[in-house]
Amino acid sequence: MGKLPFEGIHVLDFTWYAVGPVTTKYLADYGADVVRIESAARLDALRLAPPWKDAQPGVNRSQFFASFNTSKRGVTLDMSKPEAREIFLRMLPWADLVTESFTPKTMRNWGLDYERLSAIKPDLIMLSTCMQGQTGPHRDYPGFGNLMAALSGFYHVSGYSKDEPCPPYGAFTDFIAPRFSACAVIAALDYRRRTGKGQYIDMSQYEAALHNLAPMLVDYFASGRVLEPVGNRSERHAPHGAYRCADEDAHERWISIAAGADSEWSALTKILGIGDSARRFATMRARLRDRDALDEIIGAAVRGRSAEELTESLQKAGVAAYPVQNCMDLHRDENLDAFGFWRWLDHQEMGPSPYEGLEHRMSRTPGDLRRPAPALGQHNDEVFREILGMNADEIERLRRDKVIY
Amino acid sequence: MRSELLRGLRMLDLSDEKGALCGKIFADMGAEVIKVEPPSGCSSRNIPPFLDDQPGLDRGLGFLAWNAGKKSITLNLECEDGRQLLRMLAERADFLVDSFPLDYLQSLGLGYDALAPLNPGLIHATVTAFGDRGPGKNYKAADINGWAAGGAMFLMGEEGRPPIQMSVPQSWLHAAAEAAVASMIAYYARTADGLGQHILVDMQACIVWTLMNEQAMPLLHGDYLRRSGVFTGAVGGRRKTVYKCADGFVSFILAGGPYLNSTNAMIAWIKEEGAAPDWLTRGGGLKSLTPSGFMGATAADLAELERTEEVVQQFFLTKTKKELWANILKRRLFGAPVADAADIAEDPQLKARGYFVTVEHRGLDRALTLPGAFAKLSETPVGPQGAAPQLGEHNEEIYGALLGLGAREIVELRAAGAI
Repeated sequence: MGKLPFEGIHVLDFTWYAVGPVTTKYLADYGADVVRIESAARLDALRLAPPWKDAQPGVNRSQFFASFNTSKRGVTLDMSKPEAREIFLRMLPWADLVTESFTPKTMRNWGLDYERLSAIKPDLIMLSTCMQGQTGPHRDYPGFGNLMAALSGFYHVSGYSKDEPCPPYGAFTDFIAPRFSACAVIAALDYRRRTGKGQYIDMSQYEAALHNLAPMLVDYFASGRVLEPVGNRSERHAPHGAYRCADEDAHERWISIAAGADSEWSALTKILGIGDSARRFATMRARLRDRDALDEIIGAAVRGRSAEELTESLQKAGVAAYPVQNCMDLHRDENLDAFGFWRWLDHQEMGPSPYEGLEHRMSRTPGDLRRPAPALGQHNDEVFREILGMNADEIERLRRDKVIY
Repeated sequence: MRSELLRGLRMLDLSDEKGALCGKIFADMGAEVIKVEPPSGCSSRNIPPFLDDQPGLDRGLGFLAWNAGKKSITLNLECEDGRQLLRMLAERADFLVDSFPLDYLQSLGLGYDALAPLNPGLIHATVTAFGDRGPGKNYKAADINGWAAGGAMFLMGEEGRPPIQMSVPQSWLHAAAEAAVASMIAYYARTADGLGQHILVDMQACIVWTLMNEQAMPLLHGDYLRRSGVFTGAVGGRRKTVYKCADGFVSFILAGGPYLNSTNAMIAWIKEEGAAPDWLTRGGGLKSLTPSGFMGATAADLAELERTEEVVQQFFLTKTKKELWANILKRRLFGAPVADAADIAEDPQLKARGYFVTVEHRGLDRALTLPGAFAKLSETPVGPQGAAPQLGEHNEEIYGALLGLGAREIVELRAAGAI
């Protein structure tokens, strides 16, 4: 394999939780030397979050943390100590990029805001990512991506109706923002390459995530309409939804189906054997008009059938369909498997562990999970020796003083 | 003014709604993004909902949102003259993104292998539903099928009722944004040796990635999560996430771990207003909230949690979203209003940062307001570069100025049905 795109790019990474680590993971999996700076004094809470190896908690046992931190090295510095901040500043000239995802006042309080850092390293690129950005009345709002998904409108558009909200799982906006911040960071690296200029990137998770709800906002500003949730209703597909199939070993199975054109509808009726009962739905208008009755007919026809087999038959006839996969199903999904999505890496403490591979594949310079996530402080010795030329005695002293901690 | 960040780079956007956000991100960063549409217009122009509920090629809300700042040309790939034009464009492009069924471009002689010899630096991203190797490589997928295939749908909805998707479909957006990141990575690789490459994006994998590692739970803990309406939680940690309030809903979580301070502050607030039952505040608060707090709750813990959730629910019913949000900010609670479009449009934080941007749409003769910069870059600000283009709005500019075709040639190509 040839050279990876970001080989030679150095990152000092203070980010924690999801948005920052997922952003720097793109760089790390493609060759950047990303050094995560953590501390036992202020632990990345993902290190304690399940799932855990053998269902036993521990700072080096969380797959949640591990998944977001592949290909990185890890050191520990207790940044509340002045000497730790000095060590960081000594490392700074090595770095091309500094990233952090604390609430805005943290870096300022440490005296490590962009103004200070860029005075030492003028072409530095720095990414600050937080909930609502570095400025404005709500900048210090602490929170997680699940709360951001509520604040930025995703919860509101999730439900069977206005009065029956059903939020998406987890911290949804945590998985929108990193793709935007990664684009910004890579473009900034290239801009620096071309012009010699670094810059500061102020990323609000809120402002990035709203791009995924843009039509709703365009509509509101243009017409004053407030979008309400409609469950599985679609304005251009009917049927459109999830329908319960035969259980498999007492596990419920559903199939998602979306049919638009008349040709898809007629193929669907043949496969489901509902030619007679569904005759009155021959036109799209009729299907859109009485979706409840339509759903009932489809529901009755698929009940008792295998979600997999039905998917295959429908797809063969040109109808969009797929089983509704649960988290167990995902591990035996033939398409994910063929893509090579699931990867097992041998973690220092966790042993062979299940990681997600990349969500894309590149033909010439493929990225890879180059190593499992670092254990807390795993690379203290090698990193401080390499970057700062520290000797073993000094490292030992810093450990004793809980500066390296 | 066009952003300096990617100024001088050019992307051909052959995608429909499945890839539109990729080109939108590039346009926001200052690249010239040329949307290449069939003469009848990209099918994504016809996707509802529409502005004022009136259908029209320039009125699809998704189209207007995710094509803002791009240029549009018409080009008929189904005829040889059109294909020749695409080859000429590809020679002058840095990026190409498509979301056609696999092999479609190849069948026209326009696949990456055919274009790369013309322009070795070309970076071509293809957005697919299920990759290019599995049994589903040729499967059709509407957004809901990606949501289902990636595991997000199973986790959304109430027990005993059908799993659901969001009412602003999300699956293709994740895949399109992934195509943007991958294209940027490939571009950075190109700076070393001038060579481009092909990228294949898998939507299903993109959705799995949103599950916050719940996907690893079955392998490490032996069971998979079920959907449970407004509740969430790993094994042994079921928690309510959405409460009703006086004028809508609010998200709040009672929990230990990183939520512990917030939970205690919430209980203190209820107590302050005289609404806390004695058992809730006696003896140092909740016993169920161990510091690590995620899992391993006992039946007694869960019973205590449930009673507390009921107290919080009754308390929230007396407050509006605005009152709750003010207190969440003041008291540093981990909560947020379940905001709708109106709340977001009026948010003082977004206003203070000048977030929303208004652009003039010439065809509609109307100003439209769009989400603004996805990040604030100090040297090279990004953000919407204009409104979505009308069909073929930039034919003269692209075919004339860029490809150097004369007026007569353009007329001929029109007559031949290529433009």
